[in-house]
Amino acid sequence: MEIIKIKYEKDEIVGRHFTSEICYKCSACSKFCPITLHVPAYDLENSFVVHLYRAEREKALRDVWMCCSCEKCFNICPQDGDPAHVFVNLKETSYREGFAPESVYGLVNQLLNAGSAYVVSVSTNKGREKLGLKEIKANEGVVADLKKLAAKTDLKVKGGSGA
Amino acid sequence: MVAVPKYLFFKGCTIPAKLPHIEKLALDVLPLIGIELEECDTFSCCPDPVQVQGTNHAFWYAAAARNLAIAEEKGMDIMTLCNGCLNTLAVVNHKLKKNPELKKAVNEILKEVGKEFKGTIKVKHLMQVLKEDVGMDKLKTMVKKPLTGLKVAGHPGCHLLSPVEVLEFDNPLDPQIYDKFIEATGAKAIDYITKIDCCGVSLSLSGAKESNDKCISRKLIDAKGSGADAISTGCPFCFTQFDMGQIIAAKTVPQLKETQLPVLYAVELLALAMGRSFEEIGYGNHKIRPALKV
Repeated sequence: MEIIKIKYEKDEIVGRHFTSEICYKCSACSKFCPITLHVPAYDLENSFVVHLYRAEREKALRDVWMCCSCEKCFNICPQDGDPAHVFVNLKETSYREGFAPESVYGLVNQLLNAGSAYVVSVSTNKGREKLGLKEIKANEGVVADLKKLAAKTDLKVKGGSGA
Repeated sequence: MVAVPKYLFFKGCTIPAKLPHIEKLALDVLPLIGIELEECDTFSCCPDPVQVQGTNHAFWYAAAARNLAIAEEKGMDIMTLCNGCLNTLAVVNHKLKKNPELKKAVNEILKEVGKEFKGTIKVKHLMQVLKEDVGMDKLKTMVKKPLTGLKVAGHPGCHLLSPVEVLEFDNPLDPQIYDKFIEATGAKAIDYITKIDCCGVSLSLSGAKESNDKCISRKLIDAKGSGADAISTGCPFCFTQFDMGQIIAAKTVPQLKETQLPVLYAVELLALAMGRSFEEIGYGNHKIRPALKV
């Protein structure tokens, strides 16, 4: 049976996970992976998991963001493999090297500016007021803390030098 | 009334900003079944386990641990209404408790903000509180207006079920607990083939629009075809996929236009069972809102 060989830096990912070495392409994960099921490029034989193991480096680093960490692959894998966690690590490499979707860099910017994931509009707060809820506004202490954590962990902001 | 510990309410980002009526319902209705909540203004975003976790693991761990440390300082367990927040906070809580070296490394980072993770609290989703603290059998006796005749397809959602060794909520390949919740409200839980299928949110977030539409459609058409009047979930991302996402997907999947399957958030279903009207639960805020009879 074929053992999957990954094309990108094996030590970087495999050094943390043995999962990609033990995959024998049984397609069990394909039956549950929402990417394999619904993205035309993949099918039961050529699953999203196998694609990420085999793809050229840049393609894998871009496509990995379709993974939503639902962990169905982990739950069903007969080899006790854990592709989901390999892909979380792959996302980190992707983000660091600038291959993540723009929306992810935007999300990080938003977090570091406001402490929460969304820009809150005046109309949102008016709606909250009508419901008798407190308005949402950026808490300066929270924002300051997140910026300190970002600086300490070297979280990159695209186009900038970090928090 | 059951004796349930008071929980620190971790609201997250999505519900307060996008679904504030859910936040309001939780604050109003949960005390009726013995779940008291305390609000907190110093939490940050959890941060999310799908995108932010992938940006920088150390930052993700530290930001989550900061939130946990805040709850520890108050001596209170956390309850959340969001699968994503649950997943981040529960996984980080679990991993730091189990791995002293990881805990030490994260606490070194937390020194920057004057916090320390000690590992003294628990993190639960409302569904876990209902299962473990209230009890579904007890919940059934507290219901004021059983939702007799309403048929509901349960969608626990991926991040409430996995990782099972952390969440210990249900079997991720054959979940039953959310159905027990539905049955406790008096409604009938509908089983359907795609019950454990992901809502596909990452397809939406990564711009794979047609694939996202197919994913949503497959699930909703299956649930409706299995006899459901509504689908129910405890995750704001899944909720949005099934509500607004259904409207969008119906433009590319004609069969979905006929489906018109509304989604009811877990706390909305509970509120109906506690005697609130559809108007009072904020059903008018839903994009898909056919009349339902209970």
